[in-house]
Amino acid sequence: MFTTISHKKRILFYILLALCFVASVLFVSHNESFYERPIAEVIKTELEDSTPISDMYSNDDQLFTQQITALVKNGEAKGQLIHLTNEYSSSGAFDHEYKVGNKLFVSIKADNAQKGQLSGLILDAKRDQYVLIVAWIFIFALLIVGKRQGLFSIISLIVNALLLSFALDLYVKHANVSLLFVSGVCVLLFTGVSLILINGLNEKTYAAMLATLLGTFISLLISFFVLWITSENGLRYEEMQFLTRPYRMVFMAGLFIGALGAVMDVSITMASSMFALYEQDPSISDKALKVSGLDIGKDVMGTITSILFFVYICGSIPMLILYLKNSSTLGLTLSMNLSLELARALAGGIGVVLTIPISLYTSIFFIKRKRVN
Amino acid sequence: MNVLVWLAAILFILMIVIGGKKGVRSFLSLFLNFGVLFVTIFLMTNPKNSPIVLTFIACTIISWISLFYINEKNSKTITAFISTMITIVILLFFIVVVTGKSMIQGFGEESTEEISIFSLYIGVNFVQIGASVIIMSTIGAILDVAISIASSMHEIFHHNPLISRKKLFTSGLSIGKDILGTDTNTLFFAFFGGYLGLLIWFKDLNYSIGEIINSKVFSTELITIFCAGIGIAAIIPIASSVNAYYLVKTREKVRAQESASHSK
Repeated sequence: MFTTISHKKRILFYILLALCFVASVLFVSHNESFYERPIAEVIKTELEDSTPISDMYSNDDQLFTQQITALVKNGEAKGQLIHLTNEYSSSGAFDHEYKVGNKLFVSIKADNAQKGQLSGLILDAKRDQYVLIVAWIFIFALLIVGKRQGLFSIISLIVNALLLSFALDLYVKHANVSLLFVSGVCVLLFTGVSLILINGLNEKTYAAMLATLLGTFISLLISFFVLWITSENGLRYEEMQFLTRPYRMVFMAGLFIGALGAVMDVSITMASSMFALYEQDPSISDKALKVSGLDIGKDVMGTITSILFFVYICGSIPMLILYLKNSSTLGLTLSMNLSLELARALAGGIGVVLTIPISLYTSIFFIKRKRVN
Repeated sequence: MNVLVWLAAILFILMIVIGGKKGVRSFLSLFLNFGVLFVTIFLMTNPKNSPIVLTFIACTIISWISLFYINEKNSKTITAFISTMITIVILLFFIVVVTGKSMIQGFGEESTEEISIFSLYIGVNFVQIGASVIIMSTIGAILDVAISIASSMHEIFHHNPLISRKKLFTSGLSIGKDILGTDTNTLFFAFFGGYLGLLIWFKDLNYSIGEIINSKVFSTELITIFCAGIGIAAIIPIASSVNAYYLVKTREKVRAQESASHSK
């Protein structure tokens, strides 16, 4: 009885998912009318010119000019052809070669409005269809491999993203709210949502939540303390990208949220394994639990810290290459681009390692409570 | 004194106190990996070297260090290494296609001010570099899953030596499922922590959803998160089957030898 219902439900779920997939892909490939900016689809490209160039640091590159004929897909000029010129280099650091089928955001020149002979400038490529397709592959991969857990991790990603977006809206609209306070509240909510979705409501989750919050806040305190006694010597905020707000706060809040995931990872791994040990053998001594818990912690601390390292440092690879190729010295290149990333990774690592003993004790505390009942 | 020196020293002390010998190794491997990464970046500045080939070599060395240096060479780490390499090759093909199609290489409009003082015609292939960034961001998580699955499956096999290959495979999958959620979470928060400034920038400048999704920086960010998730999901069945195959194969070998010696 039960299996037939869940079987039916599962089929229904898959049908619904397939419908969502088809509908969204169709929508994104025909959504030009929802954009205010004119969009044009490339229908013909012609290579006009190709010249080798060499910059002042004797880097050799090749510069190309292509003539593009494109069809305007929305707005007043819909259906007309537009002629565009695109310059690109073979390295492509800031430019692209466009191919037939690419959709581009363009600006149409007003003075040249003879019928069928529009010209204009290319602003940017339209990328939403690719983002969507990769998103669907991600969703399918998580569902096929993870089944139920996969679904819950997708849900937790979405809920957390919405929470973050909502919190940032609040922060941007109300000038007197501190970003650190906003992200503090976010951390509380993120921890609750993620751990409950991953693990359900039970003692294991409570132990992990408590450990996560303690671990994150203590590691934040340590980072604050270090920043304070060194008066932030060695951090190069001037290279912090995308800033419209006080950089120090943005950095600290980012550090806070960035460390949270890793800390959660450790505390849930610790709590799960320790509760599993207890359930296998309810008479297990606290001492034995401590020893096994510590062993598990030692196993995971290296890998989880290195997850953070790779995520943070790899993002700056393009900038590092740009600096090095523009004859910047090694010292300047590294300190300019890596000081904040390394600080984030190290602070996260401190959070991860600190959380090991913390979750050891919170798990034992909750196991003890369970024993009494 | 420098912030980074302080933080590194605190991390080192904590790792020793809590992890002992293994803590020292974990800390040193962070530095070795950083060294490998740095040499790779340096080699990438030569346009004659293919960033993709360099990335593949770097991933091999990083996996080698993380698996064999921290955990020493044994059947667990060997199967984890094999599964990591298979996953990296598959993921590399996928990501090269994705970065090429979606044109997310290089720098976005939002960084115009920052990079305006630099010469951008530097000859290196930024499409391939974009692909390397994505794959290298994920390698830590892939290794984490590979080693967790390998060691749990070896444990199961040890307690239950007669288990069938199929059962072994399914138990590998179910271990993987547990890690899937937490690891995607770790990556998600790390990325969003790192790009908090960007998100506030979008909100402050009133970007519309359409502008955000299509902007190069944001779509790069999203595609990286998704590819990382795809990588973590992909290695779970790969690692489960590699381990199941290896464990059952060695059992059969041992049996064949035993029966051979019995029949003598």
